[in-house]
Amino acid sequence: MFLQQLVNGLVIGGIYAMIAVGYTMIYGVIQLINFAHGEIYMLGAFFAITFISFLSLPFYVAFPLSMACCAICGVLLDIVAYRPLRRSPRLAALITAIGMSIFLQNLAMIIWGSRPKPFPQEALPAYFDTTAVSFGGVNLSWFHIFIFGLTLVMMIGLNLIIKKTRWGKAMRAVAQNQTMAALAGINVNRVISYTFALAGALGGAAGIMVGAYYNSIYPTMGYVAGVKAFAAAVLGGIGSVPGAMLGGVVLGVAEAFGAGYLSSLYRDGISYAVMIIVIILIPAGLFGRVLKETKKSM
Amino acid sequence: MDKPISPNLTRGAKIRIGLLILALVLPVLPLVSDYLLHIIILIFLYMILSLGLNIVPGFNGLLDLGYVGFYGIGAYTSGLLTYHFGLSYWVIIPLAFINGAIWGILLGAPTLRLTGDYFAIVTFGFSELVVLFLTNEIWLTRGPLGLPGIDVVSIDLTLFGGPKWEFVGEVPYYYLALCMVLVTVFVMYRIQDSRLGRAWFAIRDDEVAAVSCGINLLTYKVIAFAISAAFGAVGGSFFARWVTFLSPDMFKFWESFLILCMIVLGGMGNIWGVMIGAALLVSLSEVLREILPLFGLPAEVRFLAFGLIMVLMMRYRPAGMLPIPAVAAQMRAGRTKRKKEKPVAGLKS
Repeated sequence: MFLQQLVNGLVIGGIYAMIAVGYTMIYGVIQLINFAHGEIYMLGAFFAITFISFLSLPFYVAFPLSMACCAICGVLLDIVAYRPLRRSPRLAALITAIGMSIFLQNLAMIIWGSRPKPFPQEALPAYFDTTAVSFGGVNLSWFHIFIFGLTLVMMIGLNLIIKKTRWGKAMRAVAQNQTMAALAGINVNRVISYTFALAGALGGAAGIMVGAYYNSIYPTMGYVAGVKAFAAAVLGGIGSVPGAMLGGVVLGVAEAFGAGYLSSLYRDGISYAVMIIVIILIPAGLFGRVLKETKKSM
Repeated sequence: MDKPISPNLTRGAKIRIGLLILALVLPVLPLVSDYLLHIIILIFLYMILSLGLNIVPGFNGLLDLGYVGFYGIGAYTSGLLTYHFGLSYWVIIPLAFINGAIWGILLGAPTLRLTGDYFAIVTFGFSELVVLFLTNEIWLTRGPLGLPGIDVVSIDLTLFGGPKWEFVGEVPYYYLALCMVLVTVFVMYRIQDSRLGRAWFAIRDDEVAAVSCGINLLTYKVIAFAISAAFGAVGGSFFARWVTFLSPDMFKFWESFLILCMIVLGGMGNIWGVMIGAALLVSLSEVLREILPLFGLPAEVRFLAFGLIMVLMMRYRPAGMLPIPAVAAQMRAGRTKRKKEKPVAGLKS
């Protein structure tokens, strides 16, 4: 029981971490809570099943392709909705973000219908269901390993991108101070686009994995996942990428244990409660710097 | 700007009196069906709600995404007190008001010192928790089954030997809702012109300047949040007794979003604008609800239009249809700055 919950928590926590990283990166560069990020995650799942069922692409092709589509969606979202408001008051950008979130959600409802769709199981590699490891009464399928391994690879890759590459350097510079970064010859808008692309790709990947794992894809799935991932980002300290990763895993595990031992009815409530408590008591989160009192939100 | 047409009344006053008379005689006019009255009551309800919410983003410049939480609290306060204790609606109104205010203070006091974004997220989390509570505490709220058969509003004069008159049909509710809207508007105008309102506007326009004028930010923000929550709860209490059925699904985030959209559309901080926003969006919502199924789309898709309205308003008319100068200036401030800074910072791509 204990180990089973831990495994469940780690798997789902890894997925939260992938979404949370997107929130935190975007917040880092443009100080905006991108409410529509959960919808990118939802679109990832829908892209994947569309590619698989309509174009009958194999899973391993559909997966990166959907991630690429999500990256493009992220960039478009920024260009269409957020870029015109770059210098507007925070309130305006925040309201736009909520508006886009609702818009995308309903767009998906029009395109794919509001009923939950199953993930085409036949497209998944057959060995996903077979047990890979078994210890202490817990069976780990290859699918668990796949999700966890991929999450790990992506997180390490993301860290390398941020730490080692020129992009990453530019991103960190923009996050620190946009004007100074621009003065140093960085094309700020392009860096922001990269960030949205990266966040979108990760969010999309998370969406596909959740869709395949729970075998149910519906237009409102991004809403709860988005809030939970945001809670994870807050828990880790918003703006901090390792914080978001840790926050996601901690939240996933807490949720699994809370649902297992306290009350499964309040499963979703755990992340909301964690989020509220963290925001009130330690707004800087586990890893974040104390948020500067930014310019008035409106 | 109003040019007096008659010696005594300005044009604005004439319009107001005209509208009031129209509102008073509306139910007896020909061609006014129960369905139309139903929608107008809905408009009145959303006017109360959006006027209540308006205090927080409109008067104080803070984003509140959890307003529906207070609406739900008010509705269930009213529903449960009726269901279990059979209290009269006239007792419930003040109780709902107080309950809403208490929750507003409980949530606002620890969170209003946060920056705007965090505050928005906390309110959102709060409203989700309210829905979860209403769904899961079945012993109290009957959970997802909903709370059916809540008594209608009645005027009970049996205590004084008079008759007992129960509200049947839409017409009595219409007048009740109208009265509540009028009271709300009156209160809003009085608050707006009071010391409290001026303090809020000062906070909205410039927090630092407001503090240096001796305004206690936290106190005034908590008062704003509590009053806003209280009006949300009163709206909810009316809703419960009007539709006589409650279910937790009625208080999802969509509602908060819809009410916020009314304010954004009408003009944040503008009492008239907010009311017009409510009227327009409720009408649009009802029209879309009728039209969308004809195209084989679920009625929820109408939120697509609301999302679009919000995005477009923020892009092209961020202060709403009827902007008030202070908000418009703030919303513009960043944009003019961008033009000036562009060549310096080289932000053009």
